[in-house]
Amino acid sequence: MPTYTLNINNKQHTVEADEDMPLLWALRDLLNLTGTKFGCGVSSCGACTVLMNNQATRSCQVPLQGAVGAKITTIEGLSQDGTHPVQKAWEKIGVPQCGYCQSGQIMNVVGLLKAHPKPTNEQIETMMAGNLCRCGTYQRIKQAIHLVIAETTGSPSGMRKTITTK
Amino acid sequence: MQAASSINRRNFLKTSGLAGGGLLLGFLLPNKSMAGPGTGEAPVLQPNAFLHIDTNGKITVFVARQEIGQGVHTSLPMIVAEELEADWKGINVEMMPYSTNPVPDYKPEGGSGLYDTGGSQSVFTDYTELRKVGATAKTLLLTAAANKWKVKPEQCYAENGFIINKSTKAKLSFGSLVADAATLPIPKDVALKPQKDFKIIGKAVSKYKVKEILTGKTTYGIDVKVPGMVYACVERCPVLDGKLTSFDDSACKQVSGFIKAVAFEGTGMPMHLHAGVAVVATTTWGALKARKLLKTTWNEGPNNKQSTDELFKTFAEKAKAKPTKDVYKKGDVTHTGASSHAAEYAEPFLAHGTMEPMNFTAHVKPGFCEIWGGLQMPGWAVQAIADNVGLKPEQVKTNLTLSGGGFGRRLYYDFALEAVLVAKQLDAPVKVVWDRTDDVRNDAYRPANYHSMQATWDAAGKLQTWQHHKLETSIEVMLEGPDTKSPPTMLGGGTSDFWYDVPNIYTGYTHVDFNLARGWVRAVEICENAYPIESFVDEVAHKLGKDPLQYRLSMLEGRAAFTTEDSRLHQDPARTANVLKIAADKVGYHLPRKPKHFIGLANHFFSFAEAYAAHAVEIEMTGPKKFKITNIVAVADCGTIINTDNTRNQIEGGTVFALSQALMSEITVTDSRVEQDGFFTYQILRMNDMPPIDVHLVPSTERPGGVGELALPTLAPALCNAIFAATGERVRRLPIGKDGWEWG
Repeated sequence: MPTYTLNINNKQHTVEADEDMPLLWALRDLLNLTGTKFGCGVSSCGACTVLMNNQATRSCQVPLQGAVGAKITTIEGLSQDGTHPVQKAWEKIGVPQCGYCQSGQIMNVVGLLKAHPKPTNEQIETMMAGNLCRCGTYQRIKQAIHLVIAETTGSPSGMRKTITTK
Repeated sequence: MQAASSINRRNFLKTSGLAGGGLLLGFLLPNKSMAGPGTGEAPVLQPNAFLHIDTNGKITVFVARQEIGQGVHTSLPMIVAEELEADWKGINVEMMPYSTNPVPDYKPEGGSGLYDTGGSQSVFTDYTELRKVGATAKTLLLTAAANKWKVKPEQCYAENGFIINKSTKAKLSFGSLVADAATLPIPKDVALKPQKDFKIIGKAVSKYKVKEILTGKTTYGIDVKVPGMVYACVERCPVLDGKLTSFDDSACKQVSGFIKAVAFEGTGMPMHLHAGVAVVATTTWGALKARKLLKTTWNEGPNNKQSTDELFKTFAEKAKAKPTKDVYKKGDVTHTGASSHAAEYAEPFLAHGTMEPMNFTAHVKPGFCEIWGGLQMPGWAVQAIADNVGLKPEQVKTNLTLSGGGFGRRLYYDFALEAVLVAKQLDAPVKVVWDRTDDVRNDAYRPANYHSMQATWDAAGKLQTWQHHKLETSIEVMLEGPDTKSPPTMLGGGTSDFWYDVPNIYTGYTHVDFNLARGWVRAVEICENAYPIESFVDEVAHKLGKDPLQYRLSMLEGRAAFTTEDSRLHQDPARTANVLKIAADKVGYHLPRKPKHFIGLANHFFSFAEAYAAHAVEIEMTGPKKFKITNIVAVADCGTIINTDNTRNQIEGGTVFALSQALMSEITVTDSRVEQDGFFTYQILRMNDMPPIDVHLVPSTERPGGVGELALPTLAPALCNAIFAATGERVRRLPIGKDGWEWG
């Protein structure tokens, strides 16, 4: 079996695996980074989202050879202690219920905000539509995104207002 | 196998919600402390299996109910901490280790046990008992301090982890009193706090260990790792109760890491576990890949040509006949009114779709069985597994984990037993992982159901008779066979719990068989029944030219509180009226509407665990059959609220779950096979379809009711009533997308 050296959370990891093994399963089964979740395997739910070169990416769709050379960040590498602004907003708003989808939600939001530091409502809804939450925490996810935007850019976003005043 | 009659849902509710309460009392307050000084180890105060305080003052609350996202690992310890007068920040929570008999005094009735988690029962059942747990420990600590100070216990009080001497203001920490407190006899009767003094209950408290979720450290069943573990994926017979004819794994051998393929037979009742072939490998990916190369042939049995199209035709046909079972009778429905109306409604099979797909880990050797995973009724599962491997339940080493969603799916144990059937044929522990297609195609589906409704009214428009015939692919028949004695799924307004004051009522039930596994999906029959009931009453109001809000209120206000005949729950129609009125007020029902804006309402009494909810849905018509949901108001009266923030989150999330069901979710069957294969075809709500939800909680000092399922039943009828208000067209079947309605 070939070996691959991967840059994950600023560390080099070497794994021995089939070249078509998706990054998701290397993270979970070979590297014990189980914070990245399996939800569907076909990019329909977003539970496996990680950052590859700062872009939110479904790790179930990336074969290992496609991950070589990329800077990969998983939920475990986002911060040492849950103090990334997105994690803090999630905690403050009290987003999770079962929590299973939330690593993917958080990583997707981090990618979204790297691409669009002040996203429009449409950008948020479009770019988060691929991340399912069966517990139905979408309203809180939206609130938490707007809290991050307000706190990191120092200006309130339009959406927050429409959420809190009905 | 456990007696079939003991595990039906009604029994589950009865034993855990009502009869169970008395048993728990004796169980929670044994006459002696379970641990104390003299064992050679540091003394601890452990008045019972739920609470443990060490000499450093570390307080650990053990929660027996399973955390599936509904928040019990926070709310139940909050109840203990309140009466204990502990500092919430210092509370540690642990899952109570699984044991078939955690405390000898506890003798669970029926299928319901200490660990069972379903029917929104946890707080409803455990509230008073857990308060006593905290109060008992507090009394022991108070007494120990009083002895030390040589004063009466009444001269001391507890606050924030300390016992304080009222006159001297001297303070002793809980930890410093543990050694003495552990030697004291456990008091029989302890006083509980007046609700006005609550400091923790009724507050917004963060989910326990939320940071672990946010940093990816939480271990769900699918994250379990055991030394030497291998992985398996299973190819299953596509038809329920079919058999394996043959399999060929020769092509699998080209996949690196492939170990072997092992076959197992299906089980029949109660779980109807599908026959399958497990493909075992050193990684999940290896197993998934090799499975694609596996060749199988099946004997699908005689029932392999069924379809949901035919099923709904059969429902419509049989709806013309009398129900095969009478459920509830009051007065005489042959007594006719001046005018009448009749209507029919249909609802599809539904899948649970937990974000964490089914999975389970098992290790079986001669005389040994260890299991890992999330289960909502572990006692039921462990009994079946023990029977299967020829051990006693107490010999099955059971490791329960957190679950990435339950919604009733993990009340069943098919996936756990399947892992054991695979593990029996291997020398290593094995984790069986279902992919999303497996999960959607091998669920225990919320039954397809059909309702024929009839009502008559007098000249003044007052309802005189109400008839409700429900047709369904019965869960009980699937679990227990055609001779089941279990009551049919009519809770949620289909039996003596009907919330409107109507003098003559008849409800009946007809089972229609179908070759697909059925189970309990969040709010189950209350959802199934509230949709036709709350739609039909809206129809009658419109037929009479009456305002739907006022018409509902005329049958709720002034009706005295009553106890339902079968499940012995207390129902107060004034509380139903109250949630409805708040919903109407908050949505702006009495204000002039914006152009093309329409409002629908619905309310219900939550018959699993005494609570009340209403939805008001406002839509804006954006095309002939197209609308946008501009506002959803959800109002909940769930009695005393433990954790306000978690309750809000549950009401929001329950509304979203119900929105998926109302708009888009549907399982269809052709040739006895589920057609949907994942989240692209079994659709659930996504962020881009998310309307604003405005939650209102009614302050209350009543008994805490259930929260987890409360918000589901009224959303669909409220939405459908809004559509009728807008278009004059009645939604006769769910999901509404099926009949060409569009949203967004």
